[in-house]
Amino acid sequence: MRDEPLRDGERKVYSVAEFNSRLASYLRRVRDVWVAGEISELRRNDAWKTVFITLKDRETGHCLSAQMTRARYDALAFAPEEGEVVHLQGRLDLWEARGELMFRATAIERLGAGDRLVALEGLKRALAAEGLFAEHRKRALPRFPRAVGLLTGADAAARGDVVAAIRSRYPSARLVIAETRVQGPGAPAAIVRTLAALCVHARVDVVIVARGGGSVEDLLPFSDERVVRAIATAPVPVVSAVGHEQDVPLCDLAADVRAATPTAAARLVVPSAAELSGGLVVARGRMATAVRRRLEHDRKLLGTRRGRLRAGVRRTLDHDRERLERVSQRLASAPPALLERRRVAIDHAGARLHALSPRRTLQRGYAIVRSDGAPLRVASATAPGALLEIELAAGSLIGNVVEVLP
Amino acid sequence: MSVPHPADDERPFEELQRELEEIVTRLERGDVPVDEAIALWQRGEALYSLCADRLDAAELRIEELAADDNRTPER
Repeated sequence: MRDEPLRDGERKVYSVAEFNSRLASYLRRVRDVWVAGEISELRRNDAWKTVFITLKDRETGHCLSAQMTRARYDALAFAPEEGEVVHLQGRLDLWEARGELMFRATAIERLGAGDRLVALEGLKRALAAEGLFAEHRKRALPRFPRAVGLLTGADAAARGDVVAAIRSRYPSARLVIAETRVQGPGAPAAIVRTLAALCVHARVDVVIVARGGGSVEDLLPFSDERVVRAIATAPVPVVSAVGHEQDVPLCDLAADVRAATPTAAARLVVPSAAELSGGLVVARGRMATAVRRRLEHDRKLLGTRRGRLRAGVRRTLDHDRERLERVSQRLASAPPALLERRRVAIDHAGARLHALSPRRTLQRGYAIVRSDGAPLRVASATAPGALLEIELAAGSLIGNVVEVLP
Repeated sequence: MSVPHPADDERPFEELQRELEEIVTRLERGDVPVDEAIALWQRGEALYSLCADRLDAAELRIEELAADDNRTPER
């Protein structure tokens, strides 16, 4: 089947089939080569004889297309997952009809512990460089979540710790629990889906991701890039309580808050009813004190005003009294002058009186005639023979009426 | 002493507590007229009772979200 190349002068020329055939046999000498990378695409179908795998270099993004017979793939000890970093063993081949390079995978192995750690460190560096763990991304936890979401495995301890801690700390809380697979292949995808389901729950304002302690291998899903990204970008704050204190899965770095234990996480997401209760009592006391102080202040103010009012009235009265005294003093000092004036007036009146006295008239020659003691003004008031008293300026006369002339 | 507010029962604890805190702050400022201060105090007492009752009466409610079926959708 192999033709010799034609000679065209000095030039050696191959037909395409000949070239592909030679290339294939050259490539087939490369056997049992191992390539490490992330499975970025995995296509397996029961109807197909071949499984298609795309292996990606995490650092550079370079890709390698590989294929494996479905029989061989299904016989693997584990189910590879997209996103997983693996070692792929295979050989090179050429699809001669199309001249396309093929990597025929013969084995897939998960990374050894050392390699996994290195891969994890790489992922950690890459995500950190992207800013996924940055402090400014961390959100504050709500003080009063309407409901707390709990993502956990069918792991009685972590779940029980969270429930017990919330029940004792803030019994009026609502807890929405979603159990999911947390280890083994399929766990990362399950965790991502469950987290999303919790986050879209109408009342869930914060999510606890809780997982009890386990081997580094057991905790790997919580360092899976998909899980880490899902936690970092979750629509509500996430508290991570995965593994023991000394374990730091990458989800701890991406979460808004890292808690050492599920119990600690529970204490972080709900307020303490006892503290709230204490706060209420304090608020009530402050309120009563403030009202009492307000009333005292007003009472004091009222007292001050009454005092001022009294002082004002007293001042007015004092003023009036003083004026009265001044008047009465003036009054007291008034009489001598007044008497003097009166005396002059009286003397004057006395003089006038004196001038009018009938005695002065008598001295001028007039006489007063009285009959029976009463002055006699008309002659007809008496009769002949009546006794008359005649008063003169000096002395009096007694005589009888002889005749009455009209 | 209780001054009921129509929607108090519907309001979240946090809101009632905040209202109480505001009342305390206003009263402590001391610039509220006496009549108003007494009305505020009565309202504050009502809020205190509401909050305290809620803390006392509550019982943890747990809801289980349907378990994830753990299957990656077929591509």
